[in-house]
Amino acid sequence: MADTVHKGLDPRLNRRGFLKGCTMAAAALGLSETVIPKMVEAAESAQRPPVIWLHFQECTGCSETLLRGAHPDLANLILDIISLDYHETVMAAAGFQAEQALQDSMEKNAGKYILVVEGGIPTKENGAYCKIGGRTGMELLEEVASKAAAVIAYGTCATFGGVQAAKPNPTGAVGVDKLVLDKPIINISGCPPNPVNFLGTVLHYLTFQRLPAVDSLKRPKFGYGRRIHDQCERRAHFDEGRFVEQFGDQYHKLGYCLYKVGCKGPETFANCPVARFNEQGVWPVAVGHGCIGCTEPNFWDTMTPFYDRIPNVKIPGSGIVEDADNLGIKVLGVTAAAVGIHAVVGIGKRLIKGKSDDEA
Amino acid sequence: MAYQKKKCWSILLRLYHWAFALSIVTLVITGFYINDPWFTSLKEGSASFPMAYMRFVHFVAGYVFTAAVLTRIFLYLFGNKQERILEHLPVTPRNVKSFFNTVLRYSYIKDDHDTDRLGHNVAAGLTYVITIVLAVFQLISGFYMLFPELALYNGWLWEGLGVTIFGSQQMARYVHHLVMWWFLYFILVHIYLVIWNDLKHPEGLISSMFTGVKFIKKG
Ligand code: HEM
Repeated sequence: MADTVHKGLDPRLNRRGFLKGCTMAAAALGLSETVIPKMVEAAESAQRPPVIWLHFQECTGCSETLLRGAHPDLANLILDIISLDYHETVMAAAGFQAEQALQDSMEKNAGKYILVVEGGIPTKENGAYCKIGGRTGMELLEEVASKAAAVIAYGTCATFGGVQAAKPNPTGAVGVDKLVLDKPIINISGCPPNPVNFLGTVLHYLTFQRLPAVDSLKRPKFGYGRRIHDQCERRAHFDEGRFVEQFGDQYHKLGYCLYKVGCKGPETFANCPVARFNEQGVWPVAVGHGCIGCTEPNFWDTMTPFYDRIPNVKIPGSGIVEDADNLGIKVLGVTAAAVGIHAVVGIGKRLIKGKSDDEA
Repeated sequence: MAYQKKKCWSILLRLYHWAFALSIVTLVITGFYINDPWFTSLKEGSASFPMAYMRFVHFVAGYVFTAAVLTRIFLYLFGNKQERILEHLPVTPRNVKSFFNTVLRYSYIKDDHDTDRLGHNVAAGLTYVITIVLAVFQLISGFYMLFPELALYNGWLWEGLGVTIFGSQQMARYVHHLVMWWFLYFILVHIYLVIWNDLKHPEGLISSMFTGVKFIKKG
């Protein structure tokens, strides 16, 4: 297909797809359509920001979602508006050549490139649990971040540590913002995150020359400013008290609210109900599975059990893990028994000793 | 035996007490429902909104609860002698003595009642202070869940405060749920002990929370 946009663009992306991608990003950002031409202009301009993409403890699922959209437009657009200088899993170079590309790009674009990080960074034993080219993740991150203009932490591992940071976190994995303290950081969390939020952030940066507004966990507000529950298509069933009691029951088939089977929509900030995935208009709740809260800090620890409302109580040192309410009732029982014994002792004492003159 | 009538609790304190008590009962009942909505709409389009209604009642009671807690904190600072926080914490020799005396009394080892104080004994007072501290956490987690994205005062209310204290909505909810159990234990022990005290030492302890007046033995 002919490239009608810009000579530098990938010929596979036509103008229609290009505009569509920009419009999607503008919609995700909550911008008016009047901004779209500006955005298109910024995306068309030759100054594609150089991007260095580092992988640490991760599964590459984040890169996968970005690159394997059902529709190629989004992935193409992203690859077209940025200049991806270093990305371990998709670059052709390997070994020393690859490391050379990293050094070259860092030198050439010092202070100008965007660093994207995918994966958690282990900190125990001086970071020995993750090494690339003989150097620890901590060293690499420190070096590459020091010359970056901004850092985008992509995915829950890079933002909050992810699965390897789940208790007991044997490698001491942390998110980028625990190690990089002096650079602007944007956290695009999710397991995996929605590529629209990545595109939106980059386009925002290109169009307005600054990073989008963020919440107190550094997540862009356009993507993570509202809870799933407050924009969910099943919300009416919640308010009107119609719930799935069990997976596969008649209420599940009717598409009722998944709150009682542990949906974490009420506790999770993300635009999944609006942006949806794979350009197919789907997201977990739409297909009958509750939200597992993957965009929130420590979600492996705090959102589990995935099919219950709140975490179990672990009593330290005892190995006891118990449902909060079962435990609550047990403790209430013990308290009631103590009260009963106290009353019986009092009555017994009075029967034996008689009333003191103070007593009624 | 001759008794002397003594003014003990201000009207504001008595109002606080009953607002606190009634709102907690409402919050526990509606809170349990919110956690596990056990009765549901049977038919679609039946125009019943059990979850929305229970949440609404929870939030209204939550505001009453918040007003009560703020009132109590005000009275800790500016109330009468019995109401101020210094009478409640084991920080003076007199209060430490009251604390241990109460523990001994409650374990049936000693019989004599504190005679040098009109208000709470210090074991009770300390429990109330702990309860108010937990109540503050309860209302912060509650408002953080109610206004999740509100960012007044440079982002502090409630988003910043919630994230700083609890880390996430889910942890706020978890703490909110666990602290609820404290209130249940408190209700049980509190009611038992005021009855026990009223039987052992007829100074009008229970009615004092309505009338504000206690009866102290003369001489
Ligand atoms: C003694 C005081 C309170 C008790 C015992 C209590 C109890 C509860 C319980 C058990 C839940 C359900 C949590 C779960 O899913 O496990 C809940 C939810 C909630 N409470 Fe409270 N609560 C209290 C005070 C407050 C206050 C002061 C507020 C502030 C307005 C508040 C606002 C909320 C909110 C917003 C929810 C979440 C409702 C939802 O998202 O559906 N609560 N409460």
